[in-house]
Amino acid sequence: MARIKIALAGEGGHGVQSVAKILVEAGYEAGKQVLYIPNFGVEQRGGVSIAFCQIADEKIGEPRYSKADIVIMVSDRAIDRCSTYVDENTTVIYDSSVCTKKPEVKAKRIIPVNANEIANTNPELGARVFNIIILGVILEATKVLDVEDIKSAMEHALGKKFEAKPELRTKNHKALEVGMNLLKEAAV
Amino acid sequence: MVKKLITQDTRMFLTGNEVIAYAANAAEAEFMYGYPITPQNEIMHTWCKLLPKTEAGFLQTEDEISAGFSTLGGILAGKRAFTATAGPGNVIMQDAQSMAEMMRLPFVCAVMQRGGPSTATVIYAQQETRLTCFGGNGEGFRIVYSTAGHQDLYDYMIKAFNTAWKYRFPTYMLADGYQGKMREPVTLYDPASRGISMVPTEAFLRAEGKIGVDRDATHLRNTFNLEEELMEHLDVYKEEYERISPEIEEYFEYKAEDAEVLVIAHGIVARSAVTAIDELRAKGIKAGLFRPITIRPLPVNPMRAAVKRAKQVLFTESANGQLAQMCLEKLYGLTTPYSTLFKMGVGVTGDDIVSKVEAMVKEPATV
Repeated sequence: MARIKIALAGEGGHGVQSVAKILVEAGYEAGKQVLYIPNFGVEQRGGVSIAFCQIADEKIGEPRYSKADIVIMVSDRAIDRCSTYVDENTTVIYDSSVCTKKPEVKAKRIIPVNANEIANTNPELGARVFNIIILGVILEATKVLDVEDIKSAMEHALGKKFEAKPELRTKNHKALEVGMNLLKEAAV
Repeated sequence: MVKKLITQDTRMFLTGNEVIAYAANAAEAEFMYGYPITPQNEIMHTWCKLLPKTEAGFLQTEDEISAGFSTLGGILAGKRAFTATAGPGNVIMQDAQSMAEMMRLPFVCAVMQRGGPSTATVIYAQQETRLTCFGGNGEGFRIVYSTAGHQDLYDYMIKAFNTAWKYRFPTYMLADGYQGKMREPVTLYDPASRGISMVPTEAFLRAEGKIGVDRDATHLRNTFNLEEELMEHLDVYKEEYERISPEIEEYFEYKAEDAEVLVIAHGIVARSAVTAIDELRAKGIKAGLFRPITIRPLPVNPMRAAVKRAKQVLFTESANGQLAQMCLEKLYGLTTPYSTLFKMGVGVTGDDIVSKVEAMVKEPATV
């Protein structure tokens, strides 16, 4: 791995930026070079929200890139806005249970996942851990970080909430695992 | 006296806005005045979060007009004070900034550029380059550092206070929404450990001692009766500004020595240029970078030398040529042809620059 470029896009309120923060925090703790830029409009909720993340072994130059290695799209508008970051070397992952269309792009691979549906139907999960399932998907897709690094970054971000409600920790860890398996299954 | 939080080298993973708040504390800043505007809010959030430990001060004013003038008030009282703003906030703070220019007050401001004109985007741009250098009704007797990442934010925020208090020209750290919001590793340090001592501050108003006996009266003017009276003052400012400029000018070159295509870029775009230059060199294209760190005053002589050596020049920025216009005026008389890559309010990537330079090699610029 020289440098991996990840663009994660959804609607404001989806928790896209929260997930990106956990991802880059894990990268930093693992001793990688990381760079993260959030991109969103003036709205508190709604509007397309994009997180541009880079994880590398060496110092990162450009803060923004033209084409990503992995693009995750979790809404129709995210598909519209983020197709520009896709080329024939990009892996595209989209949530088929949120998006009403498929990304029409030339990519290395296009993988549908149904994270939102699973979050809402699995009794051990719930709508609020939808973004953590997506984090699991990213973790499996990139394979540059260890699940333990992500868990420790989650403690960093959500530790206080976990202390107050330990069942949240279990739920989030479960969501992470579900997300990782989701991609393994989808990739077969 | 404020309490400094960073006493030894500390590696941290922060947003740029957080870095600026830590840097201001490291520079022994005593007071921040401000009004919220994205993408610089976390400078004041962080500054406030640290207040119980730093014992510094903060005032949130009703708008940026007031934030600018209250910063001047703090400075007149002898406090190492600063503010931060962006976009439309930078526009309406120009009145206070002009007053700082006229009264030669050591005003310090972090500008985190966002898209323009008007509200535009809260994200990123380099469209406040001209405004920060030449805004207000005046001549732009200001000093502007343009940063390219978190280490710069820390280094130059500290430096901005010393430049302002030493030379008494308003001093800016010009960054952008990317730098403010992005997270990357940075090393925070105590300036003393790098041999940097902070220029002492002193009260302009209500200073110690009896007027006429212990000291002269402080006479700060921003209004004049006669045209000639004004020009006499400004002539002195101009002479001083030009005299000190060589001490202040800073620039960074990357593989510029033998560059056939010289990229001229400032701020975060210069970082994309470095990525592009490595890629271009690997393909056998001799590209290099000239990055003015002070964009006001511009490092004219080294820039002219670099441009003269090159076969072609590329100006690139996240604006419609605001830096290019400032540079071209200073490059008068040179005949090196140039081309441009301007993306208004949008980040310039390494790929963008690679494609552009490759096109220039195939079909050289003629302008």
